[in-house]
Order: sequence, then C-alpha cells, then structure tokens
Amino acid sequence: MYTEKWEQAGLRAIENKFGTVFLKEVHYPMDYVHGKYPLHLLKEAVARWQNTNHPIGTTEEECLVFYDTETTGLKGVGTYIFLNGLLTMTETDFVLKQFVLANPSHEEAFLYESKLWQPNQTIVTYNGKSFDWPQLETRWTLHRAQLPTLPKQRQIDLMHSAKRIWKKELPNMKLSEIERSKLAFHRQNDVPGYLAPPIYLDAVRSGETNALMTILKHNEYDLLSLVTLYIEASALLTTIDGNETAKTYTNIGKWYKDLKEPSDSMYYLDDVTHSFHQTEAAEAYFLKGFLLKKQGNFEAAYDSFEKSVHHLDNRQQIEAYVELAKLSEHQFRHIEQAIGWVERAISELERATCFKESTRQSYLQKQLHRMQRLHNKLL
Amino acid sequence: MRKTLEQVIEAFRMDEQFKDQIEHVRVIPATAGDYAPLPADLHPKLRSALEKRGVVSLYSHQREAYQFARSKQSFTAITPTASGKSLCYHLPVLQTILENPSARALYLFPTKALAQDQKSSVNALIDEIGEPILSYTYDGDTAPGIRSKIRKAGHIVMTNPDMLHSGILPHHTKWVSLFENLQYIVIDELHTYKGVFGSHVAHVLRRLQRICAFYGSHPTFICTSATIKNPKQLAENLTNTTHQLIQKSGAPTGKKTFLFYNPPIVYPTFGIRRNAILEVKEIAKHLYESKIQTIVFAKSRVRVEMLVTYLKSLTAKRINDESIQGYRGGYLPSERRAIEKGLREGTIQTVVSTNALELGVDIGQLQACIMTGYPGNIASAWQQAGRAGRRQEDALVVYVGQSTALDQYIMNHPSYLLKKSPEEARIFPENMLILLDHLKCAAFELPFKTDDFYAEFDVEDFLDFFVEESILIKTSDTWHWMAESFPAHEISLRSASQENVVIIDQSVPTKTRVIGEMDRYSAMTLLHDEAIYLHQGTQFQVEKLDWEEKKAYVTEVDVDYFTDANLAVELKVISEDKERQFDGFVVDYGDVMTLATATVFKKIRFGTHDNIGSGPIHLPPEELHTSSTWLSFEFPDGWKEEELSSAMTGVAYAMNSFIPLYIQSDRSDVHVVPQVKAIHNGQPTFFVYDRYPGGIGLSERVYDLWEPLLERVYEHVEACPCQNGCPACIGAQDAGETGKEHVKQFLEKVLKRG
Repeated sequence: MYTEKWEQAGLRAIENKFGTVFLKEVHYPMDYVHGKYPLHLLKEAVARWQNTNHPIGTTEEECLVFYDTETTGLKGVGTYIFLNGLLTMTETDFVLKQFVLANPSHEEAFLYESKLWQPNQTIVTYNGKSFDWPQLETRWTLHRAQLPTLPKQRQIDLMHSAKRIWKKELPNMKLSEIERSKLAFHRQNDVPGYLAPPIYLDAVRSGETNALMTILKHNEYDLLSLVTLYIEASALLTTIDGNETAKTYTNIGKWYKDLKEPSDSMYYLDDVTHSFHQTEAAEAYFLKGFLLKKQGNFEAAYDSFEKSVHHLDNRQQIEAYVELAKLSEHQFRHIEQAIGWVERAISELERATCFKESTRQSYLQKQLHRMQRLHNKLL
Repeated sequence: MRKTLEQVIEAFRMDEQFKDQIEHVRVIPATAGDYAPLPADLHPKLRSALEKRGVVSLYSHQREAYQFARSKQSFTAITPTASGKSLCYHLPVLQTILENPSARALYLFPTKALAQDQKSSVNALIDEIGEPILSYTYDGDTAPGIRSKIRKAGHIVMTNPDMLHSGILPHHTKWVSLFENLQYIVIDELHTYKGVFGSHVAHVLRRLQRICAFYGSHPTFICTSATIKNPKQLAENLTNTTHQLIQKSGAPTGKKTFLFYNPPIVYPTFGIRRNAILEVKEIAKHLYESKIQTIVFAKSRVRVEMLVTYLKSLTAKRINDESIQGYRGGYLPSERRAIEKGLREGTIQTVVSTNALELGVDIGQLQACIMTGYPGNIASAWQQAGRAGRRQEDALVVYVGQSTALDQYIMNHPSYLLKKSPEEARIFPENMLILLDHLKCAAFELPFKTDDFYAEFDVEDFLDFFVEESILIKTSDTWHWMAESFPAHEISLRSASQENVVIIDQSVPTKTRVIGEMDRYSAMTLLHDEAIYLHQGTQFQVEKLDWEEKKAYVTEVDVDYFTDANLAVELKVISEDKERQFDGFVVDYGDVMTLATATVFKKIRFGTHDNIGSGPIHLPPEELHTSSTWLSFEFPDGWKEEELSSAMTGVAYAMNSFIPLYIQSDRSDVHVVPQVKAIHNGQPTFFVYDRYPGGIGLSERVYDLWEPLLERVYEHVEACPCQNGCPACIGAQDAGETGKEHVKQFLEKVLKRG
C-alpha cells in the first residue's frame, strides 16, 4: 500500500508480531489547556470522587483510557474501524496515540497494538457503550483465533452523563454542542464526522493523505474534549459552584435520587430551593417531596409539594396533587383537604393530553375511587 | 338433527338444487397409520412429556426423520396437513439439546405467524419437559430488551429469511454462540421457496453456511414440504447439500370425499358460468344447516366478508352466536387459539377464510372444506383440502370451479388434483443479478481469499469487478469490503431487479404505510393509474403511479371488476443457446431483449367478464434482457395474416393458463408472446420468456415442455363448451364467431395437434 505517503504525512509505521500499523503520537504537557481547563485537572477530578458513589466515579488506581474511533460505516460486520484514538495520562504528561488501519490485511496488527486487550482499563467514551466498544468487539471476534481475548473493561460513557445533567438545557446532545456551550472549546475548520468514511476510503485507494490527517485532527479534538468533559462533569456532580441553572442542578438531584443516594440528591435539591425562585425550583420541590416523605418528614414533604404545584408540567403537577391528597388523607387525616387535592387532580386528568389514552383512563379511575373513598369517610 | 357426514353427502348428491352441478365424485379411502416405537435413546424427560400428551409411538415418517437427523443426514419430508410434521424437527432438536445444552438450532419460517405458532407449541412441550431450554422468535417484532439474550443463550432461534438476510448474517459476530454450536437448520414449508424469492433464499442459505464454516459448525438441514413434483431437487438446490427424501406419511387418514362442483352455464355463447361465490353461499348454508363444521376458502377479503355476512343472516335471531367466523391474515396467536377452542367445543361452526390461512397455520381440523376456485397450484389446493378431516374421521371437500381455463381444466380432469403433483417448484440461483447481489453481502460478511469459492460458484471475476466498482479492495490474497454501504438493505428478497416500485397504502390519510414492492416490469401492467391491485386478498385501486420516484399510491376499494392491461412487446433474439426439433418444428432457448410498452387497460367485470371501460396508460417503455424459449414455423398456406394473428393470440392465452400446471409460477412470472413475423427469422413464432431480468429458469423448463403444453391446449379448446371462445379457453375474443374455429384449425393443421 502507500507506505511512503503515509509516513510523509506524519504517521509512523510500527511492526508487531501480526504486521504493520501506522501511528501518530502526540504528547501534551500537564498544563496544556483545552477549552475550559488545563488537562492536569483530571487528577483533581478523580480525587473528587473519593466519598461519593456514582457510575462515573473513578479512583487513582484505575487506568483511564479516553477512547474514540472512526469507522468506515455505521453497522455490520463489513464496517472497519480505521482509526483507534486513545488518550491517557502518565506521571508527567498526556499521551495521544492514533492508530490507523493502512491495510485491512493487517487488521490484527492494528487491533493488537491498541493494547485494549490488557485487563483492568477503564474506557471513557462518548456513546462508546453503544457504538465504539461493540464495533471493537465485532472486529475482535473476526480475529479471535489469533488475538488475545478482549476482556470486558469498565465503561464510562459520558454521553449518558451529559444527557442526565443537561437534559432539556441543550438543543441536542452532540459532543460538538457540549464543547461549544459548556466546555468553551470552539473548533476551527473541523471536518464533519460524516465525511470521515469517504475520506478514508479515498485515502486507502489513492494514497491521498491530506484529507485523512484532518480526520485525525477531528479525532484529537474529540478525545481532548472528553477529558475536559470528564473534569466538568465530575465537578458538577460533586460540588455546586452556582454557575449552572436550576434545571441542571435539579437534573443532578434527580439522577442521585434515581441512583438511590438520597443524601447526595437532597444536597442538590436543597441548594436549588434555596438559591432559586420558587418558579424555577418547582421540580426540585417536587422531587424533595418524595425524599422527605420517605424520610418520614411528612410536614416538610407536604410543604414541598405544595410549593411545587403551580409551576410544574402537567404530568408532574397531577402527580403532585395526588401526593398531597395522599398525605392529607393518611398522614394528617384531613379529609376535606384531601378531597380538595383530588378534585384538582381529577380536573387536570380529564383534560390532560400528555398520557396515552388507556393510561389516562386508568389513572383517572384510580382518583375517582379515591374520591369515593374519601367521601365515604366523611359520612 | 345432527346427521353423519356420510348422510349429508348422500343428501347433497340427491338434492335437486345441487345434483346437476356435481360433475365428478371421487373418494379417497381411509388409510391406516404406520407406526414406529419411540426411539430407545430418548431422554426420559422428553419421553414422559410426550407420553403426557398421549404420544406413545411415532408415525413412520417421524421416526425416519429422527433417525436421519440424529445421524446428521440432511433430509426433506413431505408432510401433509395434520400429519404431525413439527415432531419431525422438534424431536431430534430437543433430544440433542437435552444431551448437550450448548447445542443450537435455527428454524426458518416464511411468515411470522407460522413462527409464532411453532414457538407457542414448542414452548408448551418444553414446559412439560421441565428443563431450561430457551426458544424464541427473532424478527422485527422482537423487543430490543431480549435480543441480546436470544443471541447469547437461545437454544432454538425462530426467524424468517428476510430477518436472517439483513438482521442476523451481516451482524454474525453478535451470534457467536449460535454459529459455533449450530446443529440443525429447519426449513419449514420448503415449497414456498420458489421462483425469484426461492432463488434469493438459496443464496441467503449459502451465506449462512459460509458463516457456519467460519465458526466451525456444519449443521444438518431438516426440511418439510407440501406435495410438489421435485422436493428433493428443490431442497438440494436451495441448500446446496444432498438430501434424503421421506415421501410417505405414516399418519392415518380418514375417508375423503371430493365433490367437483361446476356452476351452471348462464351465457352459453360465451361459456360463462354462474358466479362461483353464489354457489359457494348455497353450499355453505346447506352444510351449516346440517351442522357440519366447515371451512370455506374465498379468494379475496371482500368475498370473505360477503360470505360471512350472508351466513350470519342465518343466525341473526340468536344473540351472541359466534358460530360463523371470518378469518383474515394477521391474527394474533391468541385469536387463533380462540378459534381452535371454538371449533373443539362446537361453538364455531363455519370459518370463512382467504387463502392467507393456507400457509400451515394451525386452527384445528374441520369436517368439510369448500374451495372457491383453484388456488393456483396443487400444494395450496391440498393445504386447503387438508383442513377437512380429523384423524380417521370422514371428510368432505367441495371444489367449486370458476370460469377460467385452469379452473375448468381441473374440473374436467379430477385426477390432476388427486394424483401426485406434476407441478415443479423451480429456483434459479444462477441468475446473474441475484448472484451478484448476494455475493456483495457475502463479501461484506467475510472477506474472500483467492481460491475461495462462494458455494458452488467461482467468483474471482465478480470480486475483481467489485474492486473496479470501489466496493472491495484487494490486498495480496484477500478481497476486503471497503465501502460505506450496507448491502443487505439494497436487496429485496422478493424481486430480481433493483429500483422496485414501492406500494404505499394511503387509504387512511394520516396513516400511510408501505404494503409491498413490485419490480418495474410487472408494475407497468399491474400498478398503472387506475389499476385494481389485489394484495393479500384485499382490493386496492392505484390513485397515482409516480414513475420517477418509483412509488405507487393506492387506496382500498370494494369493486366488482378487475383491470387487465395490454403490453405491446417488441422482441429481439440476442443469442441461441439450445435448439431441438419435434414434428418438424424448431424450438430454441436463449437470451432475448424485449421492449415493452403498456398501452391501454380494460376494466372487466367479475363473473360475466363484460368489458365495462378502458383507459390509456402513460408510461415509458421498459427494456428487459432475459431468457426465453421460442417455437417457429413456416407461414401456413391459405392463411391471412389477420387470421393467423388472432389464432396465435388465442393459443398464447391458453398456453399462459397451462404453464402453471407444470411449473409452480404465477401468471406474471412467465409471458407468452405470439408474433406473426419475428424479427430474427421473419417467421411466425411463439415466445415464452421469463419476466425477470437475467431469467429465472422457467422458460428453460418450458423449452422441454412444448409438446405436452400444446397437447393440453388442444384438448382443452376442443372440449370447451363455449361456442366462440371464452375466458376459460382462448380468452374473450373480439374475432366474432369464427375465432375459436380458427384456433382449432390452427392447432390441428398448422401445429399438428390432436
């Protein structure tokens, strides 16, 4: 194939026991700034997780590998990974290794050299859990007779985190959008992702490497942004510095609630209710209500739900009315008050459009029964 | 008062209303069962599960199947309805899994409904066995959440060819557990894999075998089929493996009485008979009142609905009476189980169904079956007739003929229906377009090395062609896929040409949906503006055919006519590959180029076949390069060109009707075109060509069949009671009174028949 041309473009040919693979290697000093942060803040980010339980929390002992690939297609066994990009932190610097598949007959060399078969690595990606890693597994399976087994590595997919943290705050969850609005990184002349396959296919057939190097640049940005994103997410998920919106902090509070970490959840929700106006804090009040109820703090729960009702979306509002009714009935034995809440719930349910019809019907039926029961208690 | 079926049949035959229309009665005597003991090595839990269901011995064919399967011999079993065919595969598969829990099996069904039914039934058996055997359907409806589990741990994976083609094979690395341990591939309803569809599936199976070899497995094929002439040949062509054949079913059968019922002629000049559906109404009513559980088959949903409405009026006074049921395709397993239950308990008396039901789906057995017209091939006819008759009880089948050549042929030759099937099911995996399409998929799935074959094909030249097309690149010894595309998505398994016309149902404006596809060539005459298109028994009218976009927009309708389009065809012989002579005639087989222009269409009323309107068709001509056979002869003395043209048109019409007697094909698969002066030799010539680019093997078969085909045409035209020609013989002619005479003379004097 076009060995000379690739070497002229800045790729180094590496030989291993399976064949040849091309590599571009870049070293960044610790204080290299990408977007909002210098890279060394990764150490701090890891340290933040010492006392918190969370899916993206890591420890010093873990070997973090920031990973992103470029492929010739979207799916199927005929799609090749042509670029394996790995960014890791050493004692003294950050190392980017970009392996390029110059010759599909040397795919084993390409896969082997990534060293992803070595155990105990934590793979950090953006949508890698659904895309990049399964693609790697597919390529690996085709060569499983020759290669060492690919172990199941720990996966941290930051796209899931981004969705959780900034739900409804951003127009879309593309990494480029997050870079722009949250990581202060603005790309210049970046080649769009969908052009990567045709550019590579052309490079392989014609030896034309200029365009190919722009893809490597794109991949480089992706990986550096992943580090910056991890730093940012770790910060947001362990401290409140007040620069984000009520919605974002509420989202984080909800995430911890879903992870069954009520004290972490409460930390965030409390902050929202203290720092923001009732209209913006409505959802936080709503979620707090459930936590307080679970704690047995019924007065506070009631208060919280009551503060939430006027500014919630329809679905949550109805739920809040129902919770208020339940607390009134079972905890405070205040039947008339309960009836008042159920009436509001029913009135909203009758004209709600946010439910599937069958769901709406059965929900409505339940409240009507509740109403009946409450009226009976009055007699 | 409940009478026995015997008594009902007698009464029917004597009945003034019916007796004159019964042209033939045939009785197939009851047969005793042929039994074999349960295999000695059967796992004790499997044995007791069977015994709990009352299965204490096997039918001979089930035992044979078990033995072949266990000795890793691929085989095909001819399994009539109600002969316990599923045990032919479940038994060896379950036994193998019980012995070795990592063993796997893949079951292929042509439809999801069949797959669902078999899944329910095997899971019921597995429950009784009480061991953890996992059996799932894997298709478009499978919930995303369990797909991963099925891939890793499903012992029995049930799917269909389309899913295998684009959902499994191109993702085979996710199915390592299956492919490494695949012991059996079950192909049910083998006879449905014919024509273009069968040719595609033959390749899907070759790709499957290639992938199995990569993972180190060599599964055995287990095939079940309805009666066709060439089951072993079909199975071996489809799977590229040698098969043993199990021909005889060991299941006992009750006495079957066949009544061949011909509606009376109402227009003697034109030979038109009373509408078959009206006859069926009366017969169904009679059986209903005699309390005979009956299934009625009708050709379209409209007719099903008509019959159900009519029959329901008989029960109008009884509240909540469920005794009449309509059945259409797409019922859930639970709905089918409900019908089965109703039949068992006697609350359901009559089921009226479209032909959709014939495909092996189980709803239990009935006592009588009424067939409205010949369903087009013997396998289907027997699957319909096979619904009548519970083990060892008497059964009645009433075949009611319509006014078409084929139906009347069957009416006059009952032994055609009752003897062994002369119909062949043919496939043609060598069709270049189909082969190339699948070679692409195979290259996507696993790289080819030099000296690799693709199944029985030597493909190096094709692979180099793909390199030129920038799809593959070649390293020193391997061709690698190097393109962005996903080739499986570019192929429709049911068509030979790309760029199909997509059929879009816009009956409900907010819910438009794609209901099917059709190749361009057929679309010209079947999907033009205003055409009436029949899809799975439902009538649609084409509101607009957007030729540029290859989209046909249709709406559901309920009309009493069908449309028939004329195709003006120019034919040019490109090459002659085979030639032979008989009776002084020369017949050839080779490649032709046709230029077809759809010109006008007619609207023809059902039953009477009146021409009630017509219209132009505005479409560009289509070129088709395909295989053909042709018969030429000297221009006969004393004939005028017009007369010859009209006579040849009549013969062509009849030939077209009878080709399906020999080869399982739709009328649209093969086209018969007469030319008074062929371009290549200036002589009068009959062309019979395949309607698919590259040819599909049908005309090649016709090359061998000219003599019997022409004999058949002659016999039939001679025997037809019409005076001047009718749809049942030479087509509705405009040639006035002498049309049929001319055809007869032509057949006798020029073609020397009779």
